[in-house]
Amino acid sequence: MPIITLQYDDMENLTRADRDTIIDRVPMIGADIERVEKESIDIEFFPDRPDLYSVEGVARAMRGFLDIEKGLCEYEVTPSDIKITLDKDIEDIRPVLGCAIVRGVRFDTNSIKSLMDLQEDLHWGLGRDRKKVSIGVHDMANIKAPFRYLAADPDFEFIPLDFTEPMSMRDILEKHPKGVGFAHLVEGFDKYPLILDANDNVLSFPPIINGNLTRVEESTTDLFIDVTGLADAVYTSLNIVVTSLAERGGKVESVKIMMPDGSTKITPDLTPRVHKVTRQEVVSLLGIDLSMDEIVTQLEKMRFGIRKIDGEILEVEIASYRADILNIDDIIEDIAIGYGYENIVPDFPKSSTVGKAHEISIARTAMREIMVGLGYSEVMPFTLTSERVHFEWMCRDSTDDVTPVLHPISEDQTMLRTTILPNLMEILSMNQHRELPQRIFEVGEVVVNINNRRHLAAVSIHPQANFTEVRELVDAMMRERMVDYEVVESQDTAFMEGRRADILVDGEKVGVMGEFYPEVVTNFGLGQPVVGFEIDIKV
Amino acid sequence: MGAQYNLTTNDKNVLLALDEFSSSATPQELAKESLLKIETAMQSAYLLAEVGLARVDEELIETYLLTAEGIECAKDGLPERQIIDAISEPTSIDDLKQRLSPNMVGIATGWLRRKGWANIDKGMIVPTGNSDMGNDEIVLELFKEHAQTIDELGADKKIVTDLIKRKLVSKHEKKHRLISITDAGKAFIAEGIVIEDEITQITSELLKSGEWKNKNFRPYNINTKPKPVYGAKTHPYQRLIDQMRQIFLEMGFTEIKGDIVQSSFWNFDALFQPQDHPAREMQDTFHLSSTSELPSEYTDNVRAMHEHGGDTDSTGWGGKWSEEIAGKNVLRTHTTAVTIKYLADNPQAPVKAFCIDRAYRRETIDPTHTPEFEQLEGVVMDENMSFANLLGCLAEFYHRMGFEDVRFRPGYFPYTEPSVEPEVYVEGMGWVELGGAGVFRKEVTEPLGIKHPVLAWGLGVSRVAMLKLGLRDLRELYQSDIDWLRKSEVCEL
Repeated sequence: MPIITLQYDDMENLTRADRDTIIDRVPMIGADIERVEKESIDIEFFPDRPDLYSVEGVARAMRGFLDIEKGLCEYEVTPSDIKITLDKDIEDIRPVLGCAIVRGVRFDTNSIKSLMDLQEDLHWGLGRDRKKVSIGVHDMANIKAPFRYLAADPDFEFIPLDFTEPMSMRDILEKHPKGVGFAHLVEGFDKYPLILDANDNVLSFPPIINGNLTRVEESTTDLFIDVTGLADAVYTSLNIVVTSLAERGGKVESVKIMMPDGSTKITPDLTPRVHKVTRQEVVSLLGIDLSMDEIVTQLEKMRFGIRKIDGEILEVEIASYRADILNIDDIIEDIAIGYGYENIVPDFPKSSTVGKAHEISIARTAMREIMVGLGYSEVMPFTLTSERVHFEWMCRDSTDDVTPVLHPISEDQTMLRTTILPNLMEILSMNQHRELPQRIFEVGEVVVNINNRRHLAAVSIHPQANFTEVRELVDAMMRERMVDYEVVESQDTAFMEGRRADILVDGEKVGVMGEFYPEVVTNFGLGQPVVGFEIDIKV
Repeated sequence: MGAQYNLTTNDKNVLLALDEFSSSATPQELAKESLLKIETAMQSAYLLAEVGLARVDEELIETYLLTAEGIECAKDGLPERQIIDAISEPTSIDDLKQRLSPNMVGIATGWLRRKGWANIDKGMIVPTGNSDMGNDEIVLELFKEHAQTIDELGADKKIVTDLIKRKLVSKHEKKHRLISITDAGKAFIAEGIVIEDEITQITSELLKSGEWKNKNFRPYNINTKPKPVYGAKTHPYQRLIDQMRQIFLEMGFTEIKGDIVQSSFWNFDALFQPQDHPAREMQDTFHLSSTSELPSEYTDNVRAMHEHGGDTDSTGWGGKWSEEIAGKNVLRTHTTAVTIKYLADNPQAPVKAFCIDRAYRRETIDPTHTPEFEQLEGVVMDENMSFANLLGCLAEFYHRMGFEDVRFRPGYFPYTEPSVEPEVYVEGMGWVELGGAGVFRKEVTEPLGIKHPVLAWGLGVSRVAMLKLGLRDLRELYQSDIDWLRKSEVCEL
């Protein structure tokens, strides 16, 4: 999740509150304070609130939350005569475009960094790492409208940001660090997205890189903003960027987008969405008996507008920069946050139900009692393991009932176990420096053909460990479980011939026991005889 | 009188034996005199010393012992003796070296001259005729392979030192204990000691015959520190898990279980996780090559919800929802995959259910992250359930877990709204975030036909284990040190 660094001076100016108040209250709006430094604070905001990814956005929310301002924040958008044409060819590549102009911006070190950070965080938060949304911010001084958004030949050349020589778009994807990083986003297309001005100067090659011509400096005052992508999140992102700049006094102007079908679209559109909210819905979801007045107060505190109050029905205006309001519940959550979670009285539900343990847990508890009584201590190893430990070290052939994971994180964890004994051997291996005898067991889950099964397994290591010991152990365990069983000579290669037996219940093999084959013992680096058993407990 | 000392028969025998020695006795002497084993006699001696009836003095004694070479010399004589015995007239050294070992001849020549037994002249050994037995030879005789002290040897220390230099004798140090009776001990004997038979171990014969009534039983020194023994036990982590299960059961919740392998449908889509969400990607989730069939009764509803919000006022996520992506199997990234399926299968209110089981995330192992870990989850589904009811469940649950102070902050989880992050106060750490909770979104419940609000909360059990068991490294839970298991206290939790 994005971590936003807020400079105290900047934050205090924009919020019009002192830093202590802000630090104290900001977690209650939905954020985690990561670090408090001398001059700044690092805060992690939730991924559903990209409008809080900038100091300007946080200040706007906090002014409401701290009762400094209330209601919807309105921003003026002046129509401009600047146009951008969207070529038909681009519709199959990266069809959604939103643009805006912001004039009269006065940058300083803080605000220019805030804008760059916001851009990056939006690329992550709403843009899915530029795939769905990518943003370009341009100094307007050196470019001339009208603009064109088109699909260009990969051989087209221009000077990309941070470079001095022209490069073809193809070369940019291979050589420019940003090109290499994001080339996969235009992979498979024979033409690439490009935004040009009236003189064919390049503004940007979305979603890869801007042209060097429109580089934003501290001296920049007028900005052209393009946002391209695959979904409506493009417009929300544009709104977040322009309202942030407006918070610093920028004047927003709209841009007319000429669509291939002859229609036009004017962006940014900062008109609030309207959603109906009834008092009954609020009270029933939150369980607090709020009056209409209280509901309105909390909504205004959370910077919603109130268009109309009709009895117990409200028409709520949702700011155009809010990306998280999918349905009424999202509005009601904000009412709860405005009201303060700390002010809600916890109310344990009266539902009358009886508790019931799962039969698997009951069976496992019984197994534990039996095994602990027989002198075995419980262990709880990982269920992810490797072919090497599971089969090779156990001197067993691989089986086809295992569940391998597609992209293992390490060579030690490539598959889910189908048996427990290898895990127990591993634990013995880690405990070679500890006193003998060691007797351990696990009653846990294995996964066979993608289905869970419950197994019980135990091992014992000491100089006198032998078949008789494990034979007696299995006999005691089966007696306690009240299960009749038989044994037959086993073929399990993990154990020694003549000292291994399959455990059968009603003629079906449910497990195996024996003295481990010496090579198995030494594969795990052990130096004393080991005996063990494993059975499926069939629950 | 005398009972104040609470002496056993052995103690009394040792005390009487000590009185037989004029000054002090060695453990061997004491054992012989008291007719006890050395260890038993010394155990009593120390006890007598503790109560002031005897003294045990320890001193370091130097003893000397023949080396292998020394043993040979004691048997065959020193090299110079062997040579002087072998010749009667001037003999060439080279000749001798031919007859005897050159090495011995080399050693012997120096000593022959030094002892004045012979002169060396132009490569010839010329006996002086004077070769009386030296003190060093007398001492060698005395050794007879046993360790000896200087006193026992009755020898000049210089002679022994020379033998050490010749590597014929080695020096050792030995702790020597001397036991003597004190005046209090003598006074105690003067009062008269009665020796009676004492019983160490009760036998079945003694019990049957009733003979035990006439016997004295040897008391044990109850202050002797016992050797620690450790019993087999359940895993401390399992005890913690069982404690949490117990809390849920007491609160009227039903325990549920499910498979580790889940379809993306139940793990993500049913929970309204957008199909392009980063958490679904390969770097966070363990994907499998297998697929599952989608539950046909829910598929269309879930698709509609993702694409446009279905029949609700929700906007959905937009875009196309893919059945192929939903069918891909993963290792469950949370137990919610199990709870949501249970709720879909059991839509009849009220439902109170919980699940404590393993979840899998593609994390590199380090002290605070493991790719598999236990997760706890509780859900309540009933008519008219509210956010305040959720906070009520949380407060009750955390209090029962032993966290007295609980507070709530806004949180964000993709499938709940409103969402809350509970924090508990931990001494020495302050407020610690512990788990997450919320009311399931309508986008989750509606497509599955769940008609009532669902309150849900979950937390990482291993986080609680770290707090409660004082662990620094989560791996200790899964790759346990057997010594830690042996020493972990059952009542720690």
